[in-house]
Amino acid sequence: MIDIRKTPPALEVENVARLYKSSGRGVSGVSFDVQPGEVFGLMGPNGSGKSTLLRVLSTAIVPESGSFRIVGADGVGEKREARTRMGLMVDRPTHYGDLTGWANAYFFARSYGVEEKKAESVLAGLFDYFGLAEYRDDKAKTYSYGMGKKLALIEAMSHGPDLLLLDEPSLGLDYTSQLAYQKKIRELAASGVAILIASNQVDEVEALCDRVAFLHKGRLAALGTPEEFVSTLEGVRRIVATLRNPVEYGTLGGIAGVERVATEGRDLVIHCAERPGLVADVVAGIVGAGGDITDLAVRRPSLEDVYVKLTGEALRDEG
Amino acid sequence: MKVNPPDTYWKKDVTLFFGKRFALLIKMLYPMALIVPVAASDIPTQYAAAVIGIVAVMAGTFGAGESLTVDLNDGILMRVALTPLSPRRIVFEILAVNAVLDFIQLLPALLIVYALNPAPLVWILAATVAIFATLLTANCIGIFIANFTSSPADVLLYATAILAPLIYVSGFFRNQNPTGTLAALRDFVPFAYMNDSLKEVFGLSTGAIPLEVFVYPILIAAVLALGVCLTAPRLLSPRF
Repeated sequence: MIDIRKTPPALEVENVARLYKSSGRGVSGVSFDVQPGEVFGLMGPNGSGKSTLLRVLSTAIVPESGSFRIVGADGVGEKREARTRMGLMVDRPTHYGDLTGWANAYFFARSYGVEEKKAESVLAGLFDYFGLAEYRDDKAKTYSYGMGKKLALIEAMSHGPDLLLLDEPSLGLDYTSQLAYQKKIRELAASGVAILIASNQVDEVEALCDRVAFLHKGRLAALGTPEEFVSTLEGVRRIVATLRNPVEYGTLGGIAGVERVATEGRDLVIHCAERPGLVADVVAGIVGAGGDITDLAVRRPSLEDVYVKLTGEALRDEG
Repeated sequence: MKVNPPDTYWKKDVTLFFGKRFALLIKMLYPMALIVPVAASDIPTQYAAAVIGIVAVMAGTFGAGESLTVDLNDGILMRVALTPLSPRRIVFEILAVNAVLDFIQLLPALLIVYALNPAPLVWILAATVAIFATLLTANCIGIFIANFTSSPADVLLYATAILAPLIYVSGFFRNQNPTGTLAALRDFVPFAYMNDSLKEVFGLSTGAIPLEVFVYPILIAAVLALGVCLTAPRLLSPRF
């Protein structure tokens, strides 16, 4: 295992700003670093600036101010060197549909300078690992969305980058592929690869990431380890009640200690402070509203609660 | 040399070109369908030369411009641009491979033209070189247009606006005996050299000198290619 605090950063971002004139959205004053061997999560609601920041870090667009370095290479002045050290997966990967999956991956591997024999052996391993070996000679346009995502992951990893930038990497992957992907991320991190994952899949970020940054309105709203974030919610609970029938749950918000109520399918999710008797009050409130509870769980806080809290606070601040 | 799987941009384009058999058949047949009947007919020489010229100009301009804008819209070209490959190298390869593939499309029809109209070898070679220079120039125009639009439909519109005056100056249909400024401008358009050499192939004397036809259009096309390659960073930057 790499000691991530003793080596220079794989990615250094200093006061990066890039705002779109048309919408006024973008990012401003964003600074953080990602160490070799670290898995870094980037979260934030739609329009928070994640995509803009990734465009900057992938060297697709130039920041208006600030700077970033990828394994020491200046992301603005030394783009080619920076691109060589980086593996990239965009959120909506596209391929040359009339080329086979293998030909697509081979083309990208060679474009990153991987030698012929090495490209063949590395790609064979990755196609096998991600379960695409039997489809390698099929045209990419016949691939499903999930297969296309796996092909994009292979293309991002095949040249052995020092830094991986992954935008919503697991979205669309089946469960088995998600497990394989998460295992590969852990393996790469253990071998010293720095990984930045932009995702709103809270479970994935909590399971994989050593540190997480929350973006809101283009600014870095919070940065820390998942444990640090969750510990800030000490005393907060989440009550999940599965109901047989939908109910008007507005009255639950009036119960002392209840912070937020939301529905998730047939579940009613109540974020609340820890208070003796609160669970009983909530159950009574649901029953009083005509709810027929078929299942009830009281859960400890997770990164999801942090996400809700942070975006909620940010929304309140705007108000 | 192995072309598939591709390890360079131009090999990728060659693989795609030869990979779609039906599309390839159409691509190879349509120049023949347009050119051979004209070459075999007894229409006036200048119009026979003009038809071949128009086919070459259109094939080059629309081929590169449309395929580029489609790849830009799809996002795949942007992804390729984020590899360590130099943007100028990518654009150069797009330009060169498209010109060569367009030339391969035209070649069977040209060979039939040469067979039907026996001409001095020097003029056959000159015409062939001038047609390649025309394809290179037309592809430069297509790539240049792709700098300003990501819509294949716009490519048609902008290409028409650019090509119409160039075709006029080249003397395909009108302006066949230019003087003054028009004559001077004509010397800078590669299409004009192709037009002259094709007329010579069809037996119409134009006063053109074979050496000029070998050298000037290629030189002009090379300068245009250099200019278009310089636009690569803009062409391969994201469009919002």
